[in-house]
Amino acid sequence: MKIKKKNIAPYLLLLPALALLLVFRIYPMVSTIIESFYTNNLTADAREFVGLANFNRVLSDPIFWKSLKVTLVFNLINIPTQVGLALVVAVILNMRTRGISIFRSIVMLPIAVSPVVSTTLWKTMMDYNAGVINGLLALVDVSRQEFFLVKEQALWSIVIVTAWKGIPYMMIFFLAGLQEIPVAVLEAAKIDGANAWQSFFRVTLPLLKRVFAFVLVTDTILNLILFAPIWLITKGGPQLSTNLIMYETYRRGMVYGDLGASSAMLIVVILIVAIVLGLQFLALRSDDV
Amino acid sequence: MALIEKNNTGLDRTNTDFLRKKKIFEMVVNRTVVYLILVLLAVITLLPLLWAIAASFTPLDKVFEYTYPFQFRALLPNDFTWEAYQNVFEAGMGNAIKNSLILAFASVFFGGLISALAGFAFGSFDFKGKNLIFAIVVITFMIPTDIIAIPSYMLVRRLGWLNSYAGLIVPSLAHGMAIFLFTQFFKGFPKELLEAARVDGASWLRIFLSIVLPNSKPVIISAALLLFVGQWASFFWPLLVAPTPEMRVVQMAVAMAQTEYRVLWNELMASSLIAAIIPILIIMPFQRYYIEGISGTGLKG
Repeated sequence: MKIKKKNIAPYLLLLPALALLLVFRIYPMVSTIIESFYTNNLTADAREFVGLANFNRVLSDPIFWKSLKVTLVFNLINIPTQVGLALVVAVILNMRTRGISIFRSIVMLPIAVSPVVSTTLWKTMMDYNAGVINGLLALVDVSRQEFFLVKEQALWSIVIVTAWKGIPYMMIFFLAGLQEIPVAVLEAAKIDGANAWQSFFRVTLPLLKRVFAFVLVTDTILNLILFAPIWLITKGGPQLSTNLIMYETYRRGMVYGDLGASSAMLIVVILIVAIVLGLQFLALRSDDV
Repeated sequence: MALIEKNNTGLDRTNTDFLRKKKIFEMVVNRTVVYLILVLLAVITLLPLLWAIAASFTPLDKVFEYTYPFQFRALLPNDFTWEAYQNVFEAGMGNAIKNSLILAFASVFFGGLISALAGFAFGSFDFKGKNLIFAIVVITFMIPTDIIAIPSYMLVRRLGWLNSYAGLIVPSLAHGMAIFLFTQFFKGFPKELLEAARVDGASWLRIFLSIVLPNSKPVIISAALLLFVGQWASFFWPLLVAPTPEMRVVQMAVAMAQTEYRVLWNELMASSLIAAIIPILIIMPFQRYYIEGISGTGLKG
């Protein structure tokens, strides 16, 4: 039962939050859209309306397309990997064995570590000369890997860097979802003769659908606009092999000062994110009874 | 007939015996495999932290002595010294910590208050336009902060808030996850309590402060943790709007141990650990609330 009264109270209660939202989220968003139609420099004062010229420039820029391709390739590997492994780890941590809560606490530790620190730690671990990873590989006679130094490995090294924090974070949602499944349901399946695999795929997974959708969407958004590790480690290189689209947007706007192109790029990025999310919604909604 | 029965029983007994032993064997193998995987996960999680701890207590020239090829000694400090931590504090880490703590607590207090008020409005009231406003709020929070960073920077610059605490926290005071948490919580808050107080003539503000808040401890803790960690971890925004040494935040101090020419590995690890330990210490006793805070948005979202 809600409180129904002709009341200005709720509006007043909402006022601070809405005001802040308007000024610091909606206005900048609108500003971006507007800026994309002007040439603008961070330093220059004059700006002129140029219609779709910025979009033209961006869409005919090979660096932009390469950046888009890198982003796509990166995410086609990264998102399924993170979501898949998060689910697997959640299933493992959902087991009721002795001492499991200690393992849960340990595996969840990375979420308390900031992206800057986790990136820094792994960048150090994957150092070419004397990083721990190369040191461990040396124990099994594998030669030093160049990781962030060469274009063949740099992007996948970023996958590893983001996994350490990303997988536990997504895992938490799956774990919570798994724990909400009533034991009675699984017992019933067992009585009906289902083995572990059948029970998982035909009982557990369908019950996790909502959580799965949420994790997929969240992971997608976070990874499509991934920025921090690129800025901290590779700056888009080597040879633009890690030039993810958010970094390219930043580079265009803050390094080259081309705010018009940067804004236009952002609009394109937002559209792409919207399309990807839309596709995911369609795919997941189709069997929603 | 007796002979056949005897034989049958004989066979049955061996069969069951074998099956039971097989089942126990399977269980043991299963359990061992599970524990192995758990240990592997723990190792992968802890390895960077353990090595970082060791390296932070090692002099710079000896940091990598045992890492290539890897020996277990690499996980212990090599020639124990405090010098990395001393240098890091001399370079201004203390000030950075102070800034970040102030910002984080301000975020928790003001951000929490604003989010709680909004959540209270959404969760306990029905009013015209509620669903529309809520939808707008949700959509606005799906806009990732990085995307609006540059225009926000220009706005903050125009407001004259560069290199100030205001510029650092005001833009992120309205926090999507926190508002959502409070909304969910207040949806389940007993309306009778509120109605009774209202009948007694109390103002909504009074009701909020003296009835609602004291009974909202779990959600307040969850939201406070989310806000604290979120503000503590912020890096890109402070980089944009408050890059001066006095206003430096802790995450930037971490990035400082690298120059163009060489990386001070032990100091880098020391500052990383300092930056990491504080949220860990704060979250650890409230782990359950933090987890519930994060997953709460996921399950009911």
